[in-house]
This record gives sequence, C-alpha cells and structure tokens, in this order.
Amino acid sequence: MVSAQKGQVRVITGNAVGAYGAMLCRPEVVAAYPITPQSEIAELLSQFKADGVLDGEYVEVEGENSAMNVVLAASVAGARTFTATSSYGLVFMYDALQETSGFRAPVVMVNANRETPGIHAVSSGQQDLISARDTGWIQIIVENDQEILDQIIMAYRLAEDYDIQLPIMVNYDGFYLSYLAEAVEIPNIEDVDAFLAPLKQQPERQKLVPGVAIGCGTHGMEMGYVEARYKHCQALERVKGKVDEIDKAFGDYFGRYYGGQIEEYRTDDADIVILASGSATGTVRTVIDTKREQGIKVGLIKLRLFRPFPAERLIGVLKGKKAIGVIDRSLCFGWKYGPMCMELRALSPEIGPAPILSYIDGLANLDITVPHIGRVIDEVSAAAQGKPYQEVTWIPMEE
Amino acid sequence: MVEGTKKRNRVFDYFCEEDQFAGGVAWCAGCPLELTARFVPQVLGKNMVIVGTPGCAAPVLHGQNVGAWHKLAYMASVMTGVPSKATGLSRYYNRIGQDATVVCFTGDGCATDVGFQPLSGAAERREKIIYLAYDNEGYMNTGNQRSSATPLGAATTTTPVGKISRGKQTISKNMPLIMLMHRPSYMATATLSHLEDFAKKLKKAQEKVKEGFVYLHVFSPCPVGWRINSNMSIEVCRNAVRTNYFPLWEAEDGKPRLTLEVANPKPVVELTKLMRKFSHYKEEDMANLQKAVDERYALIKSLCDAYK
Ligand SMILES: Cc1ncc(C[n+]2csc(CCOP(=O)(O)OP(=O)(O)O)c2C)c(N)n1
Ligand code: SF4
Repeated sequence: MVSAQKGQVRVITGNAVGAYGAMLCRPEVVAAYPITPQSEIAELLSQFKADGVLDGEYVEVEGENSAMNVVLAASVAGARTFTATSSYGLVFMYDALQETSGFRAPVVMVNANRETPGIHAVSSGQQDLISARDTGWIQIIVENDQEILDQIIMAYRLAEDYDIQLPIMVNYDGFYLSYLAEAVEIPNIEDVDAFLAPLKQQPERQKLVPGVAIGCGTHGMEMGYVEARYKHCQALERVKGKVDEIDKAFGDYFGRYYGGQIEEYRTDDADIVILASGSATGTVRTVIDTKREQGIKVGLIKLRLFRPFPAERLIGVLKGKKAIGVIDRSLCFGWKYGPMCMELRALSPEIGPAPILSYIDGLANLDITVPHIGRVIDEVSAAAQGKPYQEVTWIPMEE
Repeated sequence: MVEGTKKRNRVFDYFCEEDQFAGGVAWCAGCPLELTARFVPQVLGKNMVIVGTPGCAAPVLHGQNVGAWHKLAYMASVMTGVPSKATGLSRYYNRIGQDATVVCFTGDGCATDVGFQPLSGAAERREKIIYLAYDNEGYMNTGNQRSSATPLGAATTTTPVGKISRGKQTISKNMPLIMLMHRPSYMATATLSHLEDFAKKLKKAQEKVKEGFVYLHVFSPCPVGWRINSNMSIEVCRNAVRTNYFPLWEAEDGKPRLTLEVANPKPVVELTKLMRKFSHYKEEDMANLQKAVDERYALIKSLCDAYK
C-alpha cells in the first residue's frame, strides 16, 4: 500500500460527515431512527439510498431499540452494518447494546453526544456515552469533523478485526460538531476499500446461517457464560494496541494521524497536564500555547479511547508529572469527581503523588471557554507548586 | 403411529422434515407448546432460522444451563428485540440470496406487551418474516402472571381473586385483528386440535412471506397455569374453537376469511369448565365472558362476511 489519492475537499457538517463516512465503508445493512442532534445522518443515509449511492439495505425502524437489534442480527448473519443515534436514543438501546457486545457483533455506531436527564436537556454533553460505559462496547471520542470521518473508517478496521469482533461507538459532541460545517477531505471510495481490504484476508468469523445447528445468544451455560465474558474482556484489552496500529496504518496511507488511544500535545517537557476530550480540546491547545508563552510548562492529553481505558499509555505520559487537571463534560453520580477524573484516579498508584484536580464544565451546551481553561491551568499549576487546591470545581457554578 | 388398516392422517402430507427436537425436552407434561414447536419445523423445513426470547419456549429453544434441544439455527433475543432481529437477518439473507425462513417464536406476552412496538413496526414495514405467537394467555415462564392476552375475569398471579377483586378486570387484546389492521401479507389463527388447518396455514405462510410480513396466532393452553389435566390440552383447544372463543380464520392480502365456521357453537362454559382458572366464576361472570366472546366473534364474522 502506498498512499491514498487526494480526496475531494468539501465544507460539510459533522452529521453529513458521519453519513459520508458510513457510506464510504459500504455497509450492507443500515438502520437508524432520527433524534436531535443526529437526525441529519438518518436523513442523508436515506437520501443516499434513494439516490442509489448507498447500495446497502436501509431499514427505517420505528425506534432506536429496533435500530440496534436490526444491525446486531444482520451483523451476526455476516453483514457490515451501521447505525447512528444520540442521547435518549442511545439509552433506549440499552438492552440491545449489551446484547450486541455479548454477541461479539462488530457493529459500528455514531453517537452525537447529548445530555440525557430531563426531556428538555436538548443540548450537548457526554452523559449519554457515560451512561453506556459498561455495555462492553469500544468507545472513542473525536474532536472535529475530519476526525469523525477518519475514525468511522478506522472503526470498521477495528471492529471487524478477527481478534477483536466487538461493536464500536464513535462519539462526537452533538450540536458543536453536528451542525458545524468544516472543510473535510472526503477520501475516494476505492482508497477506503483498499484500507479495509486487509479485513478480507482474515479467517471468516462465525455466522448464523440456516440449516446449521447453531444457537447464539447472551445468556448461556454457567461456565460458558464466564468464558464468553472472559474472552470479551481479553478482546477489549487487545483493542488498545490495535487502535494505535490502525491509527498508524491510517496515517501512513491517508496522511492523517490522531495518536491512537490518546493524542498528546506538548506533554514531553510538561510539568502539568490537562486531560480533556472531544471538541473542547482545540480550545485547550490554544490556551496551552498562551500559557507556555507565560512560562507555564503545560501539556494536553486528548483522551480518544474511553473504553477500553488507555491505562498504560496514560501512565506512560503522566508518571512523574507534578499535577493533573481533568475536564469532564458529564457527571459520575455518587462520586464528586467527573467520570474521566474517576477513571484516571484509579491509576494514581502508578502515576505517583501528583494532585489530580477535577473540573466539571461544558454541561448542557455551556461552552468550555478560553477563560475557563486559563483558570484550570492556573489552578493546576499552583497545585503543582504545593499550594492548596480544590479537588472538584463546577466551573459554571462559580462564575 | 398410524396402523396399516387405519386411514393415514392427511396432516402427514404436509410434513417435509423429520422432528428437529430431542425426545424428553424440558416442557411440562401435556403442554401444547411442545407439540407446536415440534410441528412447525416439520412443515416449514430445516432452512428456518428461529428468533426466540425468554418465555416457556426458551429453555428448550435456547437451552438453560445445558445445550439447546433442537437442530435448528437459532438466535436468542431479549423480549424487546425479536422482530427487529428477524428484520436484520431476513434483510441480509435476502440481499445475499440465502434461502431462509426467518421465524419469530414467542409467547403472547412478548407479542402483545413488551415486544409489541417492534412487532408493529416490522409488520408495517412488511418485513419478510413470520411471527408466530403461541398464546397461553399470560406470562407462564415467570409464573402465570397476566398479559394483555389474558381473558376477562381470569385468575392469574397478578390478577388474583381476592375480597374486592375477582380476576382480570379487562378483556384481552384482539391480537389477530390488530395484526390484520397492519395489512400483513398473511395472517392466520391456528391451534392443535385442527392440525391440518394449522399445516395448511404454515404452508401458506411460507409462500406469502416471500411478499411480506406474516403473523400467526396459535392458541396454546397452559396445563400448569390454567390448571388443566395434562391429558386434556387438545380437548381444550377443540372446545375453544367449538365455542367460538378462538375462531379459526385467516387473511390473505388483507382479505379475512373464516377457515372453519362452527355450525352450532357451544356456550363458553363448555370451555371454561375444563380448567380451574375460571373456577371462581359466578353466573354473572360467565355471562360477561360469553358477551365478550360473542362480541369478538360477531366482529370477525362481519368482517369476513364483508369480504365474501
Ligand atoms: C424485558 C424483560 N422483562 C421481563 C422479563 C421476564 N420474563 C421472562 S419470560 C416472561 C414472560 C413471557 O411471557 P410470554 O411471552 O407470554 O411467554 P410464556 O412465558 O407464556 O411462554 C417475562 C415477563 C424479561 N425476560 N425481559
Ligand atoms: S408453564 Fe405452561 S406454557 Fe409453560 S411449559 Fe409449562 S405447561 Fe407449557
């Protein structure tokens, strides 16, 4: 494989990118149900189908639970599948999400992140993806429109890998990216074919076909159940390395690298590190540049892979740092820290004694602004110098 | 077995496959569900893919702490996803030209209650799947609780007979009619006392599913929950038909037709007396049930007459 042809550059929204990304991977069965801020994906894929651009089946289901069940079963029968949702849609799939990963069905789903509590919370936030944390899926969070597209393509390489065979949820901030039109390079479909071609060289995965006595389901025999769960967890462990490998292969071919499990920005010589995810990380980088000019040695970890949690790579970067600030766009009910901070704190023994400061910001469409991030960096920097600090700060509540 | 001198039952003419189930499966003695499950693949053949769910069928179809008890391709689902999973399978099999009959096999509880939304959705989309609901008028696997298919006045563990309430307060959903209103490619009711009728309907289902959605509603008494003697279940099926409690009818391309018109229907007490779930009934309760049965039959009959 040399490198891909230059693709066509178009200014399109994150949702449109989601639809293009899916279409380029030639899914054979697609099912989706509209919900703000994802609806445009369902509409566009229907249009692609109507125009004959999308060759796969498009099932206009009567709800998200059915969307997930349709793609799950089609995947078990051997199809490449795609679906997209958000918020309540994701939560309405909850039983089917668990079945999908239990079946080891390599479904690819896009989730435009939106708040979940209260019907009026039609706004951005990552609470939906957090609510689906323990469903056994691979969860990846991306930052911008180009990354949505590239990550969907990489998602098929990962999900359908013979050693993985797990469903994957590509998350992007709803509203922010759903409706943001950016210049995006859309690869040629032949190049996407070429990138996904190695999947064809693998052993064939087991499929449900008529005439063959095979039962599949998620509640099984006692030891059979335990073994299936064990293998599922082992596969999730393998995901971490695969994400890095696939990122490298993608970059080598298409010329865009994302760092795999995490993306580091100016962390090498940093004393303090900010951990954030999604669309806010662009702003964080800008503020880091400003603070660097002021002499603060600060870096960023953009968390891309949330499940499985990239423990080893995080430890590698954070070991020996003087203080860490984590910005969460969601809540971990019953803990005072945000969810990503909670996860990171589980690595404290390996990371060392650095204070870890938790920040809750950007809920319900509230922007994570330049002043907010400036404040975070200043406080984390002070904590690194041994000054007293607040463990958890809800930034909007203190403004 | 059929003896040489006796006339062979015509139902055997519809069989194309041997029994796909192991002997001695984990269903209760005398349960019509077992006979239904054994019967269907013998008529439809081995290219069936069954989608099943929790319910009395699951321990055998799926296996409970042991392997499954049959030789068919099978997919287990939670109760909320059966027709949607069948949709995914059938869309893909059709796309790749794989010959397959995708059959959802669930209880009335799944069909009429928690799994109704996807059933309605799949029917409206005209998915090429057969949905067979075996109707034992309640959630039997969880211990005889009421479902929307439980009849008026019936005692179940969640509609018990007490000092101030006597069994279920509302009539059952008329599920075959509800499904007919989706205009499926084929809809039929069937039961084990009328096997040839059942077999014909299965064959028709297999043909019509090539065009679109098929719904089959099979009356399937539960000896344990209804408190019937285990040697009486087929008799109960027969009396359900003869009392017009469970009319045998079908609808091809939306045109309803009675497949059996009972000449002199018996009063419904001829059915209810065979079981103890109505044993608390007083005369007035019986009159109410009779009225519900008559009303339902009249509606179906007038629909069928309108299409004659
Ligand atoms: C979502 C969900 N809720 C509840 C249950 C518990 N449950 C298992 S079987 C069953 C009853 C099924 O009734 P029906 O479909 O009529 O089948 P039957 O047991 O009568 O064969 C219920 C409620 C379940 N499995 N899933
Ligand atoms: S509980 Fe009833 S329906 Fe279930 S297997 Fe036993 S007899 Fe059949």
